[in-house]
Amino acid sequence: MTTGRILVVEDNDKNLKLTRDVLEFAGYTVEVAITGEEAVAQALASVPDLILMDLQLPGMDGHEALARLRADPDTQRVPVVALTASAMPMDRERALSAGFDGFLEKPISVREFPDQVRRHLRKRR
Amino acid sequence: MDVDADPDRDRSTAFADAQPGPRAQLAAIVEVLSVLARSSSQQGKVFDAVVNNARRLCGADVAQIHLLTDEGLRIVHSVGLNEAYMEFAQAHPIPVDRNGLTGRVVMDRKTHQITDVLADPDYRNREYQRRGGFRTIMGAPMLIADEVVGVLSVWRTEVEPFAPRIASVLATFANQAALAVRNVQQTTALERRSSELAAKVEQLEALSEVSKVLGSSLDVEEVLSTIVSHAVELSMTDGGSLMEYDAATRLFRVRAAYGTSDEVLEQLRRARIHADETWVGRCAYVTSSFQIEDLQTVDRDAHLTILHADGWRSLVAVPMRSHDHVVGAFVVRRRQPGRFTEDVCDLLSAFASQSAIALTNARLYEELARQSVELTVASQHKSEFLASMSHELRTPLNAVIGFSEVLLERMFGELNERQEDYLRDIRDAGRHLLALLNDVLDLSKVEAGQMELDLTTFDAAAAFQYALSLVRERAAQHRVDLTLDLSEELRVIRADELRFRQVLLNLLSNAVKFTADGGSVAVSAWLDAEDLLVTVTDSGVGIPYADQDRIFDTFQQGGRFVVRSEGTGLGLTVTKRIVQLHGGRIWVTSAPGVGSSFGFTIPGQSIGDAAEEAPLAAADQALGDPRPAVVVIEDDERSSELVAVHLTAAGLRPVVMRDGRAGLAAVRSVRPVAVILDIKLPGMTGWEVLNAIKGDPDIAGTPVVVVSVLPERGKGFALGAADYLVKPVGREELIHSIRRVVAAATSRAEGRTIVVVDDDPMALELVRVTLEPQGWSVEVCEKGADAIGLVTSSRPSVVLVDLLMPDTDGFAVIDALAARPETADIPVVVLTAKSLQAQDRERLDGRIAFVASKSALDLDVLAQRLVRVSRPAETGAP
Repeated sequence: MTTGRILVVEDNDKNLKLTRDVLEFAGYTVEVAITGEEAVAQALASVPDLILMDLQLPGMDGHEALARLRADPDTQRVPVVALTASAMPMDRERALSAGFDGFLEKPISVREFPDQVRRHLRKRR
Repeated sequence: MDVDADPDRDRSTAFADAQPGPRAQLAAIVEVLSVLARSSSQQGKVFDAVVNNARRLCGADVAQIHLLTDEGLRIVHSVGLNEAYMEFAQAHPIPVDRNGLTGRVVMDRKTHQITDVLADPDYRNREYQRRGGFRTIMGAPMLIADEVVGVLSVWRTEVEPFAPRIASVLATFANQAALAVRNVQQTTALERRSSELAAKVEQLEALSEVSKVLGSSLDVEEVLSTIVSHAVELSMTDGGSLMEYDAATRLFRVRAAYGTSDEVLEQLRRARIHADETWVGRCAYVTSSFQIEDLQTVDRDAHLTILHADGWRSLVAVPMRSHDHVVGAFVVRRRQPGRFTEDVCDLLSAFASQSAIALTNARLYEELARQSVELTVASQHKSEFLASMSHELRTPLNAVIGFSEVLLERMFGELNERQEDYLRDIRDAGRHLLALLNDVLDLSKVEAGQMELDLTTFDAAAAFQYALSLVRERAAQHRVDLTLDLSEELRVIRADELRFRQVLLNLLSNAVKFTADGGSVAVSAWLDAEDLLVTVTDSGVGIPYADQDRIFDTFQQGGRFVVRSEGTGLGLTVTKRIVQLHGGRIWVTSAPGVGSSFGFTIPGQSIGDAAEEAPLAAADQALGDPRPAVVVIEDDERSSELVAVHLTAAGLRPVVMRDGRAGLAAVRSVRPVAVILDIKLPGMTGWEVLNAIKGDPDIAGTPVVVVSVLPERGKGFALGAADYLVKPVGREELIHSIRRVVAAATSRAEGRTIVVVDDDPMALELVRVTLEPQGWSVEVCEKGADAIGLVTSSRPSVVLVDLLMPDTDGFAVIDALAARPETADIPVVVLTAKSLQAQDRERLDGRIAFVASKSALDLDVLAQRLVRVSRPAETGAP
């Protein structure tokens, strides 16, 4: 059985519900945050095994949240994977060069998604 | 000189004997001539010599030269005249009539003498006689080209007729004087012409300077200021202004001024200068300049009022026309009244036509610049819109597709048949929307010229199987028979892999979609020369003939879509563009009710060694990607992706392998210029890979850069790493390291030798001049028969051989080299203009490294490929 605590950062409630359902069904413990600020605060309070981060968030966006996480010794080694509906090639390029550990596009494939997440969990920084 | 004695005037025909002899006469003439020669322009001196000598030689009291003017004959030079006569004659030029001697000389164009003016009843110039006191008078005409220009006359105060010989002397002197006049005229004309020329040259220089400035500048303001300032300078006026004409409003607008205060310029700018309401406005209608000599004396419109108030008195307005359109006008002005000469006006007109062109150019440029900014903004808006639309659509689609999938995965329990059916409908509709979205994005990318191909070489079978796998489920549902027929020789494909799959998938899914249950869809692919040909044939509804031409156009679905309209209407358009981007073509043949067959080509598939080598090796060598390859052995996707990006940016070609075993295989087949090696790898570790590379003589020369989180430089270098970088590694550091180790390895490998066999000396020379500068030692051979011996003796690192040669051809050479143990290990590369047939390829199979086509030869690419296939330099033992 898969284990691991995943923090999902997502401001769209339906997408958040979907991601959580799929991950929980796959056996993960899922925590959620709706804004970048919340995400950083939660991650610092309790360091997760992986963070799935939407890029466009109200207030602090995904890129900034990533920078905050990387700046703190407690969270700098947590893999952070972008999960976004921004599917332009430059979005991917920008995210990877900014230091995201992976780039997953919406819409997700429910069947493949848990595996994609698992691959990133294995590669703990 | 013919001195004709007038029979009617016998008194005037009596001549006295001359005192001076011929010698004196000659001397005097010579003197005059010499003066003439010395100072052709100094008319005064000539006249001086003429009158003095004439008086002396003629034994006269007075000698004088008259020149013919509009008012009559004027004394220009004389000797012996009293002042009273002089004053009188100056004030009263002698009329050309028969009342006096000089008039008669002019009218008859011959020498006349009046023995005694007081005795001549026709002589009426009494006032002159009274003041001059002369009695006997003689005059000779000064002729230039038969035209009388003046009269040389002598007189005596006593009645004493001049002798006939004296008449001819006088005529001679008259000639001299005429000559002087002519010389002066010519000189003056010449001087005027040359000063005109000088002025023209000056103007031309000024114009060219102006046009240089104008031509080089596309800044409208600068152009305008230059025009107006030069117009003022050229016309030597005090100031000027330039107006642009707006044909729409018919208004002239002052844009620039020179010699004008800011305040007045501001007033001028505000003035309403309408084409029909102002003096300057006439520039909209006329083609040449016009002027006001005195502003004080004319009716002044608004514009002129401003100028008048500022103290301007005279002005010229010059229209600026370009291609028959008025583009503007300029005005130059002076603070003094007066007429502008024609010269100045001409000059300004010439200048105006030049300036008009410059002004037009500058305006066009301004317009262009504005439009391009607008276009950039518009295109940016479009891109932003598309990105944002894509994001906004994907977000709900994620929920639609995702939740239907969640339910279909039975995450929350079983479904009944209808629920499952409907959920599939929801999911498929969502996917359809997603496909539509992707097509729109692709299409806009293609239309904007932003779609770039990422050409790689990939496994053909895998690409086809992937596309088939995506439609297999649907085909099975509808009992559509799916078949794939790949030709034997087609092992790898050179294309943008993702785009190729997209094309294939589009044609396949259309075919499956439009084929009725129980039908069939067949995919075939084969090579035709260097073209990949693919056909997708279905037994579907077919496409009406009328629609076949436009089936690839945007939103043209054709009649067949009526049945089950699911296509986006964009798929085929995108597909066609992708094929075209690859340089290929796409077509359809279809019979309604029978089925359709879509076909496309992807050119640029090379033959050569593809058949025998593993896909990866072929990937490298089949098509001669000119970029040097670097094998990256790294299991972390993100790291390898970043490294690949850096390498690509540095002009290198990354070949990424996820584990040590695959990496090692890639190094053997790709023969990269360098290897980037991670240490923590699944399975075979980096250390083991490094050991294996350094232990294999074929690849031991390949420099390996270890990139690892482990700080074990010592171990790395001990095992033969060329460099050791500790993660995280920046781009600069990585590229610098690669460049350094590659350079070092290259210099180690120096001493590369090649034998080139070709009966065409030109081809030999071409290869030589290409390879030698790159450190190759090149030996050439024009006969196949000689090649074997040469290769055997010199044992080069590679042999390059032409196939078509007289007597011993390339095939024979290759056979012979392969048959001899001492040459069998030397790589052979075929360079040929021949298009290889199947049996040719069979014959070469396994014996050559690759085939380079002479018809599409890039020598630099060839050189790089040669480096890759060539045997390492022999060090010591063979």
